[in-house]
Amino acid sequence: MAQAAIVGSTEQYNYAIIRKFTVMALVWGVLGMSAGIYIAAELAWPFLNFDIPAITFGRLRPVHTTLVIFGFGGSALFATSYYVVQRTCQTRLYSDWMANFTFWGWQIAVGLGALSYMAGYTQAREYAEFEWPIDLLIAVTWVIYLLLFVQTLRRRSQPHIYVANWFYLAFILATAMLHIFNNLAVPVSLFSLKSYSLFAGVQDAMTQWWYGHNAVGFFLTAAFLGMMYYFVPKQAQRPVYSYRLSIVHFWSLSFLYMWVGGHHLHWTALPDWTSTLAATFSIMLLLPSWGGMINGIMTLSGAWEKLRTDPIMLFLITALSFYGMSTFEGPLMSLKSVNALSHYTDWTIGHVHSGALGWVAMVTFGSFYHLIPRLYDTRIYSIRLIYVHFWLATVGILLYITAMWVAGIFQGLMLRSFDEYGNLAYTFVETVAFLHEPYVVRAIGGLFFISGLLVMIYNVIMTVRRASSETAELEARLAAKMARAEGQA
Amino acid sequence: MPEWLLWFTHFENSKIVALLLFFSTFCGILIYVFTGKERSRRLESYKYMPLQEDDEQSDAAEGEVADNERNKA
Amino acid sequence: MIKHESIETNAGLLIALTLIVISIGGLVEIVPLFFINDTVEKVEGVRPYSALELRGRDIYQREGCYLCHSQMVRPFRDEMLRYGHYSLAAESKYDHPFQWGSKRTGPDLARVGGKYSNEWHVAHLVRPTAVVPQSVMPNYPWLLETELNYSDVQDRMRALKMTGVPYSETQQEYEANVTTFGADIAGRLDILRAEETLMQQALTYNYDGQRARITEMDALIAYLQVLGTMVDFSRYDEGYFTQFR
Repeated sequence: MAQAAIVGSTEQYNYAIIRKFTVMALVWGVLGMSAGIYIAAELAWPFLNFDIPAITFGRLRPVHTTLVIFGFGGSALFATSYYVVQRTCQTRLYSDWMANFTFWGWQIAVGLGALSYMAGYTQAREYAEFEWPIDLLIAVTWVIYLLLFVQTLRRRSQPHIYVANWFYLAFILATAMLHIFNNLAVPVSLFSLKSYSLFAGVQDAMTQWWYGHNAVGFFLTAAFLGMMYYFVPKQAQRPVYSYRLSIVHFWSLSFLYMWVGGHHLHWTALPDWTSTLAATFSIMLLLPSWGGMINGIMTLSGAWEKLRTDPIMLFLITALSFYGMSTFEGPLMSLKSVNALSHYTDWTIGHVHSGALGWVAMVTFGSFYHLIPRLYDTRIYSIRLIYVHFWLATVGILLYITAMWVAGIFQGLMLRSFDEYGNLAYTFVETVAFLHEPYVVRAIGGLFFISGLLVMIYNVIMTVRRASSETAELEARLAAKMARAEGQA
Repeated sequence: MPEWLLWFTHFENSKIVALLLFFSTFCGILIYVFTGKERSRRLESYKYMPLQEDDEQSDAAEGEVADNERNKA
Repeated sequence: MIKHESIETNAGLLIALTLIVISIGGLVEIVPLFFINDTVEKVEGVRPYSALELRGRDIYQREGCYLCHSQMVRPFRDEMLRYGHYSLAAESKYDHPFQWGSKRTGPDLARVGGKYSNEWHVAHLVRPTAVVPQSVMPNYPWLLETELNYSDVQDRMRALKMTGVPYSETQQEYEANVTTFGADIAGRLDILRAEETLMQQALTYNYDGQRARITEMDALIAYLQVLGTMVDFSRYDEGYFTQFR
């Protein structure tokens, strides 16, 4: 690899595409989280709907979920998967135009999606709200992504495919499968954006939650575990705790996740056998989840002092702790008796956010702090600001999830309580009134979290600026040297 | 066909059959992965992959990896 | 014996095995739902939506109502008291897509039909706090102001027909609907007469209280008023439904 040493990694690998996806992840992050805070505020202070159709809660909520899951999360996954596959295979991405195609295809899909929901076009199935033309664009983009990833794997200069890439690969395959089957629909006409799902009622519900839960399982978990398997060892400068555990982790996680979607439909008109099966597998899923968490955290075994000296490590390990917490909470909530109380309440919302903010966003921030200076061949502008970000994010998450626990559990208890005569103790709207304060706290938690992200963006801008001034300086010095050399000659 | 084999062909036993099938596959993987000194050593050697990239500037990483390998041996 | 290394060093094998492993769960849990007959209960009364109700349902989706309102009553005592009989799979068998929901920021709507008057719904949708002071629901005044666009309602019904909803286009299909649903309803399920029956329903019931025009409010309330009313539960013995669960 003598050539590589001369060329340098910025030229040997396609870093340009990674930079683009990284920047867009941060942009969508800010937009998506702002939308989230706004709809949280709408629930606390409904006048914020302002009677404007495009910004009412019902239309803005899919904007929030789409921008954070597909915009922020998706772009972060494209960026890191392209980085990890190139680095661990020690080869350049198979094709530059394919990489650019995935970039534009994905950004346009996310952007159009958000605008179309505000205009009132939606498939009305959670996290699969994209209407059919956008679904087609996503499908094409995704197939190109798969081809690009696999072709890059195939031209690796290493005999082995590193475990992080297995997780990315499973994520790409599973997402393709879920997206295609769940979005089967009949358009009203060729020139209409509206379509109707091919399935109805109970079958539609099960397909949708098979998709919905595996969007969590493969998009928001498996892929981010791929991130974890690369960036945690790199940042710790130690190999992952156990490679054998990662083999068991990978196969059992991939297998078990696909069974659990039915736990979103406990006590509904879904047949009992399906929801029992889903609950059983949800409990089993605790094992691979915690296996993965242990594998990540124990990577630091013998080097725990890094948590005191390295804020990036702090991000990554905290993310893993939240991952462990929410993968314990998940199986708990999938028990039918717990679900009877928790379902339809804000407990679910809190659970999702302890995973989404605590695990997905935190592990992304940690990885980005590792990645961005390397993309620009420089050092991070400020370590202190990483600490500031870390604490803002942590406080934000804690406020958010405690508020939602209070909201969800108490609403659940109020709805099922009876007075001494056996009548319902509360009307529905009394529970709505009770929720006001938790909703305010939740919005404040969100504000903390996004301020952390803004601090990160400032840090990143300053880092990139310094990198370009460094390059300019270097070039100027080189030019001067050349001029001098020419003068002497 | 012996009597006990017919048990597997009954539809109402499919749950148990599936459970046995999946569970034994799982146990098989566990046994394969976690037994055998030679195999374990071989499998664990692949975890150094991300730390052996060609443009590693950091000497610390190299040192640490070497340390770990010595500890294992 | 196959070594794990053979998988790790062979992208094709890794893809094939991963695909197998991730396919099993969905195959086992979803495919049987299409084939096991007891999945959807056998009850009478469930029918496809009329053209007006269908347009109302489209508006329900457009405004994202499903994000705060479920349409799935669970078999618990408090939900029975609050909403009525628990929901059957049969009651959403023509729902493309299903609107069971996952969150109740507002109450369940599976059986809201007939619970409130049309006037109440108009007042509530225009400004919810006018009738429920603590409500956090947004105002939807534009529903009352916007005329309903039903120019493509036939296309919509044809699309749904392709997914399996028994709207009729031929005489034969119409007659089949007369046998299943009765002449009155079969007329409303006829695609060729869709615009006519839509206007007729809107004018007859005048959901929005404005005789002059057909608004989105007409359509949405027509939909809300039919929710959960199709099955006559007094005709079934309580034990009947448990055999399907």
